Amino acid sequence: MTALASTSARCSRTLLAFLFGLLLAGCSVLLIAPYDATTDRILTDLTVRTETVVVRADNDRLSVGEREKFYADAEGTVNAMKMRAGLYAKNEQEIAALDELANRYGALSERHASPRTSLTTGLRATLMDLQQIQVAKKRSSVFSGGLNKTNTSQ
Amino acid sequence: MDTISLAENMLTAATGAAKGHAKDLENYLQARAKLIADGTAAIAADRLKKKITEEDAEFAFDQIRESEKTAVLAVKATSLAAAQDAINAALAVAAKALSTAIGIAIP
Repeated sequence: MTALASTSARCSRTLLAFLFGLLLAGCSVLLIAPYDATTDRILTDLTVRTETVVVRADNDRLSVGEREKFYADAEGTVNAMKMRAGLYAKNEQEIAALDELANRYGALSERHASPRTSLTTGLRATLMDLQQIQVAKKRSSVFSGGLNKTNTSQ
Repeated sequence: MDTISLAENMLTAATGAAKGHAKDLENYLQARAKLIADGTAAIAADRLKKKITEEDAEFAFDQIRESEKTAVLAVKATSLAAAQDAINAALAVAAKALSTAIGIAIP
């Protein structure tokens, strides 16, 4: 029991020493790329366009031409997002998720599949996953902003 | 400097910082599960109405299975953001304590 308490105290001291080391180095930790409002806006726009096309396909109101144009536009948008995501360090998850999103649109396009709800669930789930990444980054940026404000007001 | 209180304050700040991400993650996982459930029902309904072929149904379910890779990425990114905020919150508390103790503002 005493040995356990002493090990725990030693771990706390080590953690504290590590954090003070970081502190004295004048750095905060960066584990994930910062929030990018432009990426978030483009992703939201792509999601709206996708959902609109899904509704039209479900109601059999989407022509073959419109469908092919939608897939081409969507793949172009994803490529542009990948270029932008590559400009940030610590952005591996977003880049990999965008690769997967391109695969989802590509698979539907190659199959000449109608973007009905039944056929696009994987695609829509991937869009939601990317949105969650933006939500996490945004929360983190708001939090960091709060910390910086507290530090400068001292 | 009271290191025990400092460690407690740092832990409180770190836990508080991670809580928001945990709630977001819960909401996301619930919404995702509902999307997959509705999508699976739509596959069954479209197949019964012969709006899609058997191959289409297999393709659709494969795409759902493939999408699980990005779910893992989203969870990982959220965990990283939570860890980042928790560490930085703890560091901010430590910086304040150090500033108070030595009388010099830590950037």
